[in-house]
Amino acid sequence: MSTTAWMVVAFLAVGAGIGGYLLSISARTRVLNRRLEELRGRPPHP
Amino acid sequence: MSSSNASTPGPETRTADSAKVRSLGAAAWASVAVALGMMLFVARVDDFNGPIQKIFYVHVPSAWLAYLSFAIVFVCSIAYLRTESRRWDLLAHSAAEVGVVFTSLVLITGPIWARPIWGTWWQWDARLTSTLVLWLVYVGYLLLRGLSTDPSRSGRLAAVVGIVGFINVPIVHYSVNWWRTLHPVGPTVADPLNNSGFEAPELATFFVALGAFTLLFAWLLSIRVRLGRLADEVEARALAVEGVRDPGPSPRRPPRPAGSET
Repeated sequence: MSTTAWMVVAFLAVGAGIGGYLLSISARTRVLNRRLEELRGRPPHP
Repeated sequence: MSSSNASTPGPETRTADSAKVRSLGAAAWASVAVALGMMLFVARVDDFNGPIQKIFYVHVPSAWLAYLSFAIVFVCSIAYLRTESRRWDLLAHSAAEVGVVFTSLVLITGPIWARPIWGTWWQWDARLTSTLVLWLVYVGYLLLRGLSTDPSRSGRLAAVVGIVGFINVPIVHYSVNWWRTLHPVGPTVADPLNNSGFEAPELATFFVALGAFTLLFAWLLSIRVRLGRLADEVEARALAVEGVRDPGPSPRRPPRPAGSET
């Protein structure tokens, strides 16, 4: 494999790492927002 | 947890915060695009190593941000142990998570460079090994936080790990000076021309990449802190509605009922 190809692999890996982390944050935010909406629709604990 | 609601801002503050976070994100991605363009079209190809040397422009900023993240964890952990304020705990936790992401990028891009240049993916030399230990310490920090069912106790324990773990950061940084290693010493901010053969286009690219990655880090940290505040809000509301602590988005094992241990 040429060194240019290795460079492309490294840049793609950085993109995938940051993109993957953003997806993870986004998925956790969605779950929490759903849970918050669900809790908002319920009366307080007596 | 000492005060979940203390870190949960009102709706107006949240809207203003969201606008700031969006602007920061736009600035970060625009600067990353500029830095990428400079890496590809401004920085010249290294005569000796060829195009793969351009990995340097993502590898070194990632390492700098790993140091910065763990310095934030260190400072916030001290502040948390002194004040017990949830604000510091949340910032330390968020910085540790983002720091692990950037350390992972260092540990991925380094071997990709090493494979064609050294002829091997990995060498157990001082810089590489101490960086791996750094990563393992902060992965342990995150696991510790994820496994405990008592947030206050896990916060205090994690703060101790965050303070002790930071000892490794200067060891990683100075390992290339203290021990004989394969890892290049390379340029530093204090001595940008050290052994690098860098001239103006390469130096400009390096500092633009450093700035762009720092903006990206600030944005990632701010959205991670926002996620933590949302988790606190859910937990506070679950406590009010159900009278129990919410387990959060990651599946945590609930505490066993008394007498169920076999």
